[in-house]
Amino acid sequence: MMLLAKAALGLGGTLVLAGAYTMREGVIRVDVDEYRSGGSHVHMWVPAAAVSMAMHFVPSKHMRHASEQARAALPVFHAIIKELKKYPDADLVEVVDDDQHVHVRTHGGKLQIDVDAPDEKVHLLCPLSALEDVTSQLEERSPAA
Amino acid sequence: MSNLSRKMSSRKDMMSNCSRSLLAKSALAATALLLLTPFGVVAQSSSGSSKSSSTSSSSDRWLHVRVISSDAKGETVRVNVPLELAERVLPTINKDRLHDGKVKIDNAHVNDVDLRALVEAIRTAKDGEFVTVQSNDSDVRVAKQNNHLIVHVLDKQNSKKSEVEVKVPMKVIDALFSAGKDELDLVAALHALSGQGDTELVSVKDHENTVRVWLDSKNVTD
Repeated sequence: MMLLAKAALGLGGTLVLAGAYTMREGVIRVDVDEYRSGGSHVHMWVPAAAVSMAMHFVPSKHMRHASEQARAALPVFHAIIKELKKYPDADLVEVVDDDQHVHVRTHGGKLQIDVDAPDEKVHLLCPLSALEDVTSQLEERSPAA
Repeated sequence: MSNLSRKMSSRKDMMSNCSRSLLAKSALAATALLLLTPFGVVAQSSSGSSKSSSTSSSSDRWLHVRVISSDAKGETVRVNVPLELAERVLPTINKDRLHDGKVKIDNAHVNDVDLRALVEAIRTAKDGEFVTVQSNDSDVRVAKQNNHLIVHVLDKQNSKKSEVEVKVPMKVIDALFSAGKDELDLVAALHALSGQGDTELVSVKDHENTVRVWLDSKNVTD
């Protein structure tokens, strides 16, 4: 019993530390529902820290390719994310008509994009710090860097 | 004597077993508690972030654009941009005529009008009306008033009237033309704009749309 308790305590402690580290940046949520035949339904919930950690394991060939593809947009994207971090709660863009609603805003330090249309619903929630990590890593691995 | 020591020893064993069991149980309880902690931390951090997330400081200046369409779909577009964000992001865009936050214009001539000379003339002129046109088709008024350049156009051609009013602080116009000969400095203009008080810059009203561009310190549209 004692041995089991010690092992459980050790395992629990490790899991807590791992969980706290993984969750420190929040989570990325992606929900896509297409209401048509063959439409996709994607519901994803990923710890934000896991994404930037996983990027370290992407082969450099693929990372270079990705950063080359995004090279023109990276400085703009990086600047926008960096500046948006100063505005953790702000409505940026809202488009409303009789059957559609598009909303882009920052909420609690996360970028939130919501699209509600009759044929599709897209909800994206991503911590700005995670986006900054990703753009920084892409910039670092670009051939010009 | 031996009976007494045997009794004491068995009591000791019982107590030791009891405390071991208690210790093990508390360790298991602690583990369970620890395992549940991350969910609590996440929940707290998410609620905490929404609580602690500050609104923008009062010194922040926001450029707002609102378009309300009165057609069948009744579309409404609201855009709120922090001026500081625009100031920082514009120089990173290098596309076509836009470089380093400046737009190239051909020899500062637009339809054979020397813009730079025109701006200089307006800048040095006293407040007053520069252009006033009144006709059956339209009314046009260009004036300088309280260090603002005001352009007002009323189109009466159709039965449905349309009205455009542009009000730009002279400091912003000066900053816009402060770059090289053939350039408009957008970043400098935005910087000058951020020093202005709450003001309405553009207002367009016609039978289909209402457009408003204004500047204030709020991070949400009215």
